[in-house]
Amino acid sequence: MQTIELEMRNPSGLHARPAALFVKTAAGFRSRITVQNVTRSTAPGDAKSILTVLAAGVAKGHFIRLWIDGEDEEAAAQALSELVVSGFGEAVE
Amino acid sequence: MIHDASVRLHGIAASPGVAIGPIWRYRPPQMETASGAAGSTALPGQSAAAALDAVPRLRSASEESARQLGALAARIRELGRTNEAEIFEAQALIATDAALIDEAVRRIRAGEGPVAAVQAAAEATATVLAALDDELIAARAADVRDVGARIARILTGDVLELPVVPSIAVAEDLPPSVTAEIPLGLLTGIALSAGSRTSHAVILARSLSIPAVVGVAGLLEAVDSCLGRLKGKPLRMALDGEAGNVILGPRPSQEIHLHMRQAALTAKRDEAAALRDRPCALADGERVTLVANIGSPEDCPRALAARAEGVGLMRTEFLFMGRQTAPTEQEQVEAYRQVLSAFGPDRPVVIRLADIGGDKGIPYLNLPPEANPFLGIRAIRLAYASRELLLTQLRAIWRAGALAGVVPHVMAPMVATVGDVELFLSLRDEARDAVLADRLPCAERIVSGIMVEIPSAAILAAELASRVDFFSIGTNDLTQYTLAADRGNAALAQLQDALHPAVLRLIASVVAGADAAGIPVAVCGELAGDEAGAVVLVALGVDELSADAGCLDAVRGALARVTRTELDELARVALSALEAETVRGFATELAGGVRRKHVKKSGYHRAGTP
Repeated sequence: MQTIELEMRNPSGLHARPAALFVKTAAGFRSRITVQNVTRSTAPGDAKSILTVLAAGVAKGHFIRLWIDGEDEEAAAQALSELVVSGFGEAVE
Repeated sequence: MIHDASVRLHGIAASPGVAIGPIWRYRPPQMETASGAAGSTALPGQSAAAALDAVPRLRSASEESARQLGALAARIRELGRTNEAEIFEAQALIATDAALIDEAVRRIRAGEGPVAAVQAAAEATATVLAALDDELIAARAADVRDVGARIARILTGDVLELPVVPSIAVAEDLPPSVTAEIPLGLLTGIALSAGSRTSHAVILARSLSIPAVVGVAGLLEAVDSCLGRLKGKPLRMALDGEAGNVILGPRPSQEIHLHMRQAALTAKRDEAAALRDRPCALADGERVTLVANIGSPEDCPRALAARAEGVGLMRTEFLFMGRQTAPTEQEQVEAYRQVLSAFGPDRPVVIRLADIGGDKGIPYLNLPPEANPFLGIRAIRLAYASRELLLTQLRAIWRAGALAGVVPHVMAPMVATVGDVELFLSLRDEARDAVLADRLPCAERIVSGIMVEIPSAAILAAELASRVDFFSIGTNDLTQYTLAADRGNAALAQLQDALHPAVLRLIASVVAGADAAGIPVAVCGELAGDEAGAVVLVALGVDELSADAGCLDAVRGALARVTRTELDELARVALSALEAETVRGFATELAGGVRRKHVKKSGYHRAGTP
């Protein structure tokens, strides 16, 4: 099991497009992935559900925690971190 | 039978323009009728078999919705409407989302029919999203309801009847999936009883230049009662997206009046668009540099589309706000490089050092709370205590300039004294030396300027001008500090007009100081984006105007209507008037293209020429 914590850096947080990208990326892995908005201390939920991710209300500057459990957990952790760190293409070309 | 009494209703002007034509009434699928039509109205305690059948039907309707939405997204993306396409891509994910479908299945197992279950599940999820204090995410509530309605329509076999002739859509609210299904050209206007200026339908209307009025109280009742009286005959509507009103069954005279308004609006837009491809100039050919204010790299495309000749103010606060730690140098390099590259070597970009301080609650600055943050430690003054923050920013700018292959322009905000200028210039040089010492690529030079927004800087203009490459006047703060009137205090509105002659005389003395040293003067405050304001500033000798991209067309148009001779007259008025209204009145007439035969002298010269 991998646990990672990431800071949301893109200006619009996890709203429609970044949330969709996040969920699609998460859904590409077999591991069970759980997400929590640490800043708002929301209840942890399924990172492969766009509604759960939207309902976490992740804005710029918020920290999210991911629990990734499964055979491809390392690859999933890396892909999701890269996505968040790159700002979903918002802040970086 | 046609009633001669036409009905006029008021709402919020949401997207400018005029539309006249038949209405197309959109009604969302209704829960009771919908499930009834499907023949699956469920009662508590319905048979387990019916529930078993309902779940697979729901799942296949959810998959069909996702497929339709994916296809819609692809079609719209091909048309180049990327932002809308992204909304439908997100909707496609929602359509099969476990959180939505599991809740609907739970409701079916509890005895609800599939149509009612999916709409109730969507409503429950939408309510959770709408309650979030994040506006962007709360707005997604409409997407969830929209998806719920789509799945419900598929379950009931309902077909959405689209308009067949160009029509004005009338509804409580218009979901994005519906507006996107209407072929372009058949939607000429939008009138909604609900909605706000930020709702989906409105954003879409503006992006497609479709006139819209929203929040029209009593709209649906009035329309439905007219439709009842007309017994199947089409109902016409006239909609004015600028005045924010709609007329049901307009009289011919009202239609003619609106047609004329529409013609005038179109002419004005065409005139502005025609000017866009020519350099900004006065009627007599004198050039004025017109550039844009931007708040982040995302504003670049809008500014470029509005034909900005560069950026007169790139705010950098977005990098520093809403976070727990200072942005890294690398993060800043990337943001600046992006903007510098977008504008290239021929369109200079002026980066303003972070204008942050006590009022904005930035935790990592560790600043003590202040009683008067606008008169406290902010902007260049942050370097009084620690040079680190601004040094990092300047290092990033030197490096970004090298990466983009351009000469960056930088200005320091809140400069009050010669000492502040020297502090800024020493930070600039220290940052360059540090970048070179680290053997990192470094721009050849930086064109250095200051914001003139504190009265002391305006008074010391001549001394400051000899030390920098350009001035940029921030009229918002200059007005606030000159008239000692808080920008946010509505009770002091009459003291917040930047056209107050006291402010204008300061601007004139800044121009005089800059002229003596041979450096250009820009204005990047709101006054530069106001037609009357722009004309006054150029009259006073300002060389460059920087405003939001949305204002550039209007400013370009206003300047093209005036000559230097007229502006000289305006300058005399501006510097001798006693009240802002006097200046604004004269400038508005000039900017609007009204030619005066003679200027009434009486009101303007009581103060004598300064």
